[in-house]
Amino acid sequence: APLTDSVPPQVVPGADPSARQLCFAWGPAEVLVCETLFGRAGGSRFRCLTRCPCPSRFWGEDRAGAAARALTGSVAGTGDGAPSSSHVFVVRRDQDIYIQTLRKLFNESHGIFMGLQRSEEDLAGKSRKAQLVQVSKNYRSVIRACMEDMHQAAVSTRDPTLQSQYSTQVSILSAMELIWNLCEILFVEAATAGPLLLRLLDWVRLHVCDVDSMVREVLNSESPSKHKLFWNVVDVFVLQGRMDEARHLLSKEASANPTSMNMYRILDDLMKKMPVPSLGNTQTLTELELKWQHWHEECQRYLQDGTFASNPHMESICKILLGDEDAILEKKELMTTWYHFLVTRLLYSHPTVKPMELRFYAQSSMDLFLGGESSPEPLDMILMAAFEFEMHQVIKECSIVLSNWWFVAHLTDLLDHCKLLQSHNLYFGSNMREFLLLEYASGLFSHHSLWQLGVDYFDHCPEYGRVYLELHIERIPLSTEQKALKVLRICEQRQMHEQVRSICKIMAMKALRNNRLGSALSWSIRAKDAAFATLISDRFLKDYCERGSFSDLDLIDNLGPSMLLSDRLTFLGKYREFHRLYGEKRFPEAARLLLTLMTAHIAPCSFWMTLLTDALPLLEQKEVIFSAEQTYELMRCLEDLTAGNPDKQKFQDDDVETTKVEMLRLALARNLARVIVKEGTVEGY
Amino acid sequence: QVSVINTVDTSHEDMIHDAQMDYYGTRLATCSSDRSVKIFDVRNGGQILIADLRGHEGPVWQVAWAHPMYGNILASCSYDRKVIIWKEENGTWEKTYEYTGHDSSVNSVCWAPHDYGLILACGSSDGAISLLSYTGDGQWEVKKISNAHTIGCNAVTWAPAVVPGSLIEQPSGQKPNYIKRFASGGCDNLVKIWKEEEGQWKEEQKLEAHSDWVRDVAWAPSIGLPTSTIASCSQDGRVFIWTCDDASGNSWSPKLLHKFNDVVWHVSWSITANILAVSGGDNKVTLWKESVDGLWACISDVNKGQGGVSAVTEGQQNEQ
Repeated sequence: APLTDSVPPQVVPGADPSARQLCFAWGPAEVLVCETLFGRAGGSRFRCLTRCPCPSRFWGEDRAGAAARALTGSVAGTGDGAPSSSHVFVVRRDQDIYIQTLRKLFNESHGIFMGLQRSEEDLAGKSRKAQLVQVSKNYRSVIRACMEDMHQAAVSTRDPTLQSQYSTQVSILSAMELIWNLCEILFVEAATAGPLLLRLLDWVRLHVCDVDSMVREVLNSESPSKHKLFWNVVDVFVLQGRMDEARHLLSKEASANPTSMNMYRILDDLMKKMPVPSLGNTQTLTELELKWQHWHEECQRYLQDGTFASNPHMESICKILLGDEDAILEKKELMTTWYHFLVTRLLYSHPTVKPMELRFYAQSSMDLFLGGESSPEPLDMILMAAFEFEMHQVIKECSIVLSNWWFVAHLTDLLDHCKLLQSHNLYFGSNMREFLLLEYASGLFSHHSLWQLGVDYFDHCPEYGRVYLELHIERIPLSTEQKALKVLRICEQRQMHEQVRSICKIMAMKALRNNRLGSALSWSIRAKDAAFATLISDRFLKDYCERGSFSDLDLIDNLGPSMLLSDRLTFLGKYREFHRLYGEKRFPEAARLLLTLMTAHIAPCSFWMTLLTDALPLLEQKEVIFSAEQTYELMRCLEDLTAGNPDKQKFQDDDVETTKVEMLRLALARNLARVIVKEGTVEGY
Repeated sequence: QVSVINTVDTSHEDMIHDAQMDYYGTRLATCSSDRSVKIFDVRNGGQILIADLRGHEGPVWQVAWAHPMYGNILASCSYDRKVIIWKEENGTWEKTYEYTGHDSSVNSVCWAPHDYGLILACGSSDGAISLLSYTGDGQWEVKKISNAHTIGCNAVTWAPAVVPGSLIEQPSGQKPNYIKRFASGGCDNLVKIWKEEEGQWKEEQKLEAHSDWVRDVAWAPSIGLPTSTIASCSQDGRVFIWTCDDASGNSWSPKLLHKFNDVVWHVSWSITANILAVSGGDNKVTLWKESVDGLWACISDVNKGQGGVSAVTEGQQNEQ
């Protein structure tokens, strides 16, 4: 059976369980569990384990918490004194999201989920129901497609471990589809008496495949009626209510054995006439019941008359038609499951069964079928809960038994859309649907690409979706600029300003560490981080002083209004502008800008010397550029600089600096002289 | 389904006292009685030793990663009374700051929410709590709360950053008015809550419930509710969940999670605060979650050594 409670595997070989304690720390997706001795008294062997328990279950048992279970020490001990093998085990739970073949399941179901969220709620009654049933069918077809892929993988691999893994997955998916299908019939479609039976028959036919190969074998044989399994196959058809096929096979038998022709004709007739519920509204339940009663009595008469006495096979079939429990139970191996037995029983004893009556039949069917030989397995309990219409129980049991949240999250969401879960609100304000979706989506976030699906799920959790998204999205490793931009876009779309700032700051820091100043600057501008922008501008300026040129000119030239983010950045931008103007030989403008940078205190004092030095070539042009007033200003700046310099001693001792200052004073004086003459001269005549 | 995806051999020569994943789960830092702090790159199931940091002169008790926006920074504290802050520059890890202001073992370090800047709280056996704040250019400013706990302070934990009042985006450049708080646990059996007022740290609340040394405190991450939650565990075997419903932080009420049979050493919250991990008492790690009716239920009970499936206890009763 696919859904058994498995004992957690021994994860940590060699850990000594005696006298050890466990330390625990959460990582973003993993958890760290360390064996230690908290007394801090000193040395003993220590093993550090990393593991990830999964988010807890609401009801109390945690599958993944089994991780911690397994972690700890369920391993043969090495005892104290063993050489320190300070191993760290990184263990992860919910491996399912990493299985390639399940990728389709997660991706496509995401599409269906989104479609459902956006679908029109104001569609009334029948059309809404039809819509929801279609959604349910879509989910199931995705499960089946995955099953198919998984089966292919199992068949084509040579690795026995992989093969067994794939096969297990196939049975789990099959069980999921079985459960989902039943839920669709009972809850989503809410089939009523009549159609209910037909749906259940379809359900059984679809899922009991153990007999398929036998059926094929017989049908494909040259002379089916001579095949030793012939009657088994006839029985299978009868048990599954496949009357036409049963009759067809019987006819072969009849033609082969003319002596039983009479018996055959009667049986055939009975089978042909059996009243069954119809999907259309051609008859009411009462009519059906009446007809059925008559037919049942007719069968009874033939049986009692001994019509089939000479052919035990046919007699058994007639008993089955009469709903004889013992007769049906005799064919246990052909039914293989108690729920098949249930549906067969209903078909032949109570075809107009009402949904609410199912529970009684289900319980007794299971008891009769298992007969005290075996006990119900988890799958059985889930199906039973469904027959009892205990939706919450179904969800709870599935949560416990299945290894990830996918199934319960999507099914519960669908049931919620069917307005079937309204009454159950949880203590902390969120409801069950949201709880499960949050857990499912959280799990997706540990995956390097599936996290993007998680975003959408969080979007549709009105209470906590946003905050969960905020907490999780920050932990996505921003390994490439592309990924960072992707994450940013998601945050920006949702006005998650804190996260935007945080991410931009992280990227800026990264860029700075890798000496990519331009990138660092644009990230800090995006983060509106004035302090960082100042830091980076300083670096740019420092680089300029050392190298004499700027890097990332494009960026600085096109700062625009973001220049105002920080004073230093403004200075950087303006300073670059000065250089541009100079390069374009627009000297008067350049000169004016240069002066403004100092007088308006845009330039930091530490940079004044550089600026004044930049002024030198302007002072020594053939043409006079600085006006008298400007020259006085420059002189004043120079004096301010040399006078107010706290490191005066150092300043004076530094030869280079002293020379510079002298040169400047000389150039300024010369310029002043020239400009006084120029300004005092009347221009032309 | 549980599976080992990586096995990292730390090669520590003595007991490991702490192991922490970085923000993204890409790096693992471990510290040990062998006085070293080691950093491993554990991406994609690998294990590359990035750094073996020496600098402590005694067992190193805890390590803590700072938020990535400040670069790759790790803090460690030790029996040698020192707190060392390590930083990765140009691909190599180096000591960037060493704080020696405590008179005995520093037991716990915890970085403040990144919104507050780069601030580290340190709790020491000398009873004091230091707050180291990075002010720029390699400089750190120190504020000390002396006698925070008599006999000693064992644990510190920060409250999540929540801007009081509205959550409208502040205009750029303007720092929101955060109220900084953190909690500490000490040998005076108390959990204390500290609040910064006008640049000074003041004791805001004294939470009394334990009857023996408080070993660990953990402030739960915020999921947007107005309630604050702190978990504390103690030598007395009890774990309390403290909740405060109002934003002003005035009325804290304890709820006993469970009384264990032995000392409880460590409590920690998952990222979205929906699970509390408790470790220590009787060699177990148990995971707890709040259930529908407000009771705390143990969702997983780790029973060491027996290898079997342990009993799952649903809704263990409170022992008030």
